Amino acid sequence: MRVSVIGWELPPVFSGGLGVHTINIFSILNRMIDVTVYVPDVDGLYDKYPFNVKKIRFNTESLSEYSGTAGQTKNGEIENKPDENSYYKNSGIKNINFNNFNFKDFNEMIYYYNKGVVDCFDKNTDIIHCHDWITFSAGIELKKKYGIPLVITIHSTEIDRSGNFFPQKYIMDIEKEAIKIADKIIAVSDYTRNMIIDNYNADAKKIYVIYNGVNPNLIDSGYRDYSLHKNILYFGRVTTQKGPKFFLETAKKVVKYFPGVKFVVAGTGDLIYDMKKLAVESKIEDNVIFTGFVSLNDKIKYFRDTDVFVLPAVSEPFGISVIEAMSMGTPAIISNTTGVGEALYNVFKCDFYDTDLMAEYIIGLLKYKGLRETMGTNGQIEAKRFTWENAAIKTMYVYKSVFSGGDYER
Amino acid sequence: MSDNVIFYFEVHQPKRLKIYRLNSINDKDDYFWHEKNREIFLRVADESYIKTTRILMENNINASFSISGTLMEQALEYNPKVIDAFSDYFRSGLGELIGETYYHSLASIFDKKEFIYQINEHKKLMKKIFNIEPKTFRNTELIYNDDISETVSSLGYKNIITEGTDSIINNYNPNYLYKSISGLNLLLRNYRLSDDISFRFSDHGWSEFPLTADKYASWIKRTPGDVINLFMDYETFGEHQRESTGIFEFLKYLPIEFRKNDIGFVKIDEASKFDNHGTVSVKDTISWADTDRNLNPWLGNQMQKEAFDKLVSLKDNKNKKLWRYLQTSDNLYYLSTGNPGDQEVHNYFNPYKTPYNACLLYMNILDDFDYNYHK
Repeated sequence: MRVSVIGWELPPVFSGGLGVHTINIFSILNRMIDVTVYVPDVDGLYDKYPFNVKKIRFNTESLSEYSGTAGQTKNGEIENKPDENSYYKNSGIKNINFNNFNFKDFNEMIYYYNKGVVDCFDKNTDIIHCHDWITFSAGIELKKKYGIPLVITIHSTEIDRSGNFFPQKYIMDIEKEAIKIADKIIAVSDYTRNMIIDNYNADAKKIYVIYNGVNPNLIDSGYRDYSLHKNILYFGRVTTQKGPKFFLETAKKVVKYFPGVKFVVAGTGDLIYDMKKLAVESKIEDNVIFTGFVSLNDKIKYFRDTDVFVLPAVSEPFGISVIEAMSMGTPAIISNTTGVGEALYNVFKCDFYDTDLMAEYIIGLLKYKGLRETMGTNGQIEAKRFTWENAAIKTMYVYKSVFSGGDYER
Repeated sequence: MSDNVIFYFEVHQPKRLKIYRLNSINDKDDYFWHEKNREIFLRVADESYIKTTRILMENNINASFSISGTLMEQALEYNPKVIDAFSDYFRSGLGELIGETYYHSLASIFDKKEFIYQINEHKKLMKKIFNIEPKTFRNTELIYNDDISETVSSLGYKNIITEGTDSIINNYNPNYLYKSISGLNLLLRNYRLSDDISFRFSDHGWSEFPLTADKYASWIKRTPGDVINLFMDYETFGEHQRESTGIFEFLKYLPIEFRKNDIGFVKIDEASKFDNHGTVSVKDTISWADTDRNLNPWLGNQMQKEAFDKLVSLKDNKNKKLWRYLQTSDNLYYLSTGNPGDQEVHNYFNPYKTPYNACLLYMNILDDFDYNYHK
């Protein structure tokens, strides 16, 4: 079987979970089938990957073809700058450098990338597998053009990324069409499955839920110390979607009870200045540390040196960081709107806006070492269940079902 | 070839604690979850206790019961017909009432005086309600060791029961009568035959499913020994195994099938008629719970140990009665994370969804108690 994966990013050049997902799943699948991954040709990519890689060069020569973006104003000027687009918010991890491409905005860049994929596409393949809206246009066009079956994975929707706060119609339209035309859809959680059924009118029968895995070298990274660090961690993009505002609201409530506790905001994003302002306004600026950019190497240290990991996401399709924190034995508090929570038992869960309860969870974990240790050690065992091998095998099953129409059991 | 069976049923409901938030501390707020306790009690009373007791009466089935003080209080408050049903049954001579701690607590493992106090409090209640003085003792969830049997013996009891753990039954067939180090008649639970009813009865994945009364009687008959000790939660009938599973029909047909095989029902206080097969010493504390059969369901993880230490540290206080309710073992059981295999059972019994939520509310209540009543 030959599968052509339309991707977006690969390590070491990536901004989010998509790159991690792509390299882990397809390095395993390439042992069973022929995998070719299409990605933008950007600086910093490795020469070789454990699967075929087609690096797509694309440019703005045929700019006149491009039309339609939610950010475009009536007189044709484009309002959105790349940084403001929901897919391109700073992650605190090394970003793809697109500056030398001279695109007017992120949506335009996506348009040309997808066009480039279609132009260079090798139609000698059995399945096209696209990942999120940034690759959907190519998948839609290629399916129409060659009749090759299309599988799409929904890592996040525009509704998630915008925190349901002014989602871009242009993007939602692409997502809707792909969801309609795809032969099979992989959702990263039941939460996402329901999201696309409710908001994109997806056909439930063709949706398969496959959970992400966790990087195995994060597990068992030495002895976990449960003595009190007085340190609470937010780790991720500082964007509406992830709920940093609720982290700081919670911090204010915890600080009243435990004055010396530090709240670490690790990562950057478009809300970083708002959050710094909020910390000052809330008079907790001495308790909040903004780390800015965090390298992958420092990540383990942040997770291990904290008492509690908090993800108050407004809408998080999966939440790999939760599993990463847990796999290092760190107790986690997550919002009910975090997809992976549906499969987790050894965490605290609450509504993202219920900062009273979130504060109580943190205070409890700070007060009781036994609680930290029990939740941390049990969570560590639970996190081991999330493997890329499982995810790859299930993905393989979805490919087979494209042709056999077999029943799916999670 | 066993010709006798002892049915012993644990009848217990905790007075569950409510979800006590941080801002309730120092509020002099009531600790108990009345709505939940009422809801559960009324359901179990109707679907299990009253129905099952009537079936035992109508079908002349002997059985021994321990009824906790916390259950009796709820029966009096929510549905006294439960007590009427038991009274009728005990008056008929079919039943035996046995002693335990009033609060279904872990007092036996942390304070001998407290343990004795709670046994006597239970004894007084049984005398008052049923006018019966128990001769047999069973500790909370069959928690047992030589010291516990010594204490119980000193209080004048004649018989005691515990689990036939794997390490014991390696050396002692559980289907005979033994003596404890302290000289009590000691009966050991036959966990396989007990769990066939209490856990596996409605398990469609079990190779012996469906379990019928004639099949079960044949198993009893061919099992070597004098007496098969079938010890289980009373809620097995109608609650853990719903009426729709056929559990009541099974129970009704048991005496018929037993008669065909010359198997009789015996009460624990009649067990002295069997030959004594030696003295069994139990140094390490055992129980009938979980797969480990030890104290792990209550003290198995760090959060339980921290909570238990806090509970014990509050001993000198101005509200002993309230402190004793906090000792009910269920409060710690809800904090158990257990082995993955036992987690399903724990979740089933956990009204707080997760052990971590249970931990927070319990610690909040202990903090409140500390603030208001600790000397």
